[in-house]
Amino acid sequence: MNSFRRIRAIAVNTVLEAIRHRVLYALLFFALILIGGGMLLATLSYVERERILQDLGLASIRLFGVAIALFVGVGLIHKEVDRRTIYTILSKPVSRTHFLIGKYLGLVATLWLQVVIMAAAFVGVSLLAGAPLDSGHAAAIGLIAVELALVVSVAVLFSSFTTPMLASLFTVGIYIVGHLSRDLRELGRQSDADSVRYVTEFLYRVFPDLESFNLSIQAVHGLTITSREVGFPVAYAACYAALLLLVASWVFSRRDFR
Amino acid sequence: MTSDPDVVVDVRDVCKDFPVGMGFRKKRVLDGISFQVRKGEIFGFVGPNGAGKTTTLKILMGLIRPTEGGAQILGHDVSETGFREHIGFLPENPYFYDYLTGREFLRFYAELCGVPRGERRGRIATLLEWVGLENAGDARLRTYSKGMLQRIGLAQALVHDPEVVFLDEPMSGLDPMGRVEIRDLILRLRADGKTVFMNTHILPDVEMVCDRVAIIVKGKIRYEGQIETFLKSGEERPTQVVLARVPVELAPKIEEDFESEVRGFQDRIEVRVAEKDVGALLWLALGAGADVISVTPQRASLESIFLNAVEEVGQ
Repeated sequence: MNSFRRIRAIAVNTVLEAIRHRVLYALLFFALILIGGGMLLATLSYVERERILQDLGLASIRLFGVAIALFVGVGLIHKEVDRRTIYTILSKPVSRTHFLIGKYLGLVATLWLQVVIMAAAFVGVSLLAGAPLDSGHAAAIGLIAVELALVVSVAVLFSSFTTPMLASLFTVGIYIVGHLSRDLRELGRQSDADSVRYVTEFLYRVFPDLESFNLSIQAVHGLTITSREVGFPVAYAACYAALLLLVASWVFSRRDFR
Repeated sequence: MTSDPDVVVDVRDVCKDFPVGMGFRKKRVLDGISFQVRKGEIFGFVGPNGAGKTTTLKILMGLIRPTEGGAQILGHDVSETGFREHIGFLPENPYFYDYLTGREFLRFYAELCGVPRGERRGRIATLLEWVGLENAGDARLRTYSKGMLQRIGLAQALVHDPEVVFLDEPMSGLDPMGRVEIRDLILRLRADGKTVFMNTHILPDVEMVCDRVAIIVKGKIRYEGQIETFLKSGEERPTQVVLARVPVELAPKIEEDFESEVRGFQDRIEVRVAEKDVGALLWLALGAGADVISVTPQRASLESIFLNAVEEVGQ
């Protein structure tokens, strides 16, 4: 019970720190401009105006979501160590694992808050343009939020032991590979060389399969989305993030704060 | 380890190696240090910069692990977290969450320490008053001065009413007023029955507040005991006296009487004499109608004082 209270206190403090930070508002501001800018872009086209508008909107939510995830995920943990605020926290009855979990939950809460704001802008713009809105759009945005929670766990893992610069690079790298791993596997399957097939299969198994969180096409084109298409990625993200946090906490517990 | 209930902090044979460069070589920062802090005392952990004071304190706070040896606080190994409800810590040059107000900041730490919700508000108000920040509780920490940050940091260390308080260089970087304020707060802690462990390299602070000290130089404990015994056995402090409107005949007389070199420019002179001779020199100068511009005790670097004193103590 006490552990829960401590983790909550750290999570709440993390959200407070993030929402009192100006850079976050700058990112959010540009996201909202881009989502709104879809209206302008759509007027340039004679066909499929609503689709262009919503495609751009969902892509903006994903892009800026990842930018914010990188910024807060890597930045806020490193700042605690760099500015030595972590010294006073760890001198209290707080274990390093509690600290990391609290930090992670606070980061996820911050991101989801941003997603809610961007989603509201998306809904507003869609209504203004008369574009259709249904549960498919909700599912697509929901999975973006889940994907971001997974990306933050990657950022947390790397920032538990390396510099912010490297942690950002690694996280971006994993994000890109994660989105390509499915295509790579398909390419590999068409290859004659066994070694290529094994490597692409291995990449697909080890790196997070982030394309499974992308329901934008189905949503924008009004295709049916099965419960498995939503349920599987959610369970997958939960397991993957839990595993990464476990490793991060193991690494973090062995670290000397010099 | 000891089972004496009066021993609050017990450090035994602690060594710490840090990797150098790429990590292939190692540098020994702490070399087998041992000392004990007793209940209710203000214990000064004293030494020049880079001697290993902060490393020792970080080991006690569980922030780094000793390479060899071990340490206990209140009978618990420092790698545990549960007992930390009974200790408070103020790091050196603390940088706190500057986006929080003083009150929010203390509330956060009270939650971390498990202070019951009903008691938090009263506890925080008492502490803000205690450190003299009752009017700054609703201002963000980024607007605080250095002295105010040090005081809110002290409040943070005390928010859960701990038995032992660890302070890393609590008075460094403060102006004279700020130092007096922090010193008075530390003395009040002892009056409240707390045990205080403080790192410092400022000798006058040690002489003012500490009951007992351990002196660390280059990773080794060189002395443990009363500071007075240590300083008396050690250094003879020279004092620089600057005089003005000095009559012509006075300078040679000073040179002769005090066997010291007199350097001068027109009617202004600078004399270096032993501390015990300062009174006699001033008496002579004032009697001859000279003005006293300044009297400054000269101190060698801390390291040389410590090293010289240690040699004379005969360790």
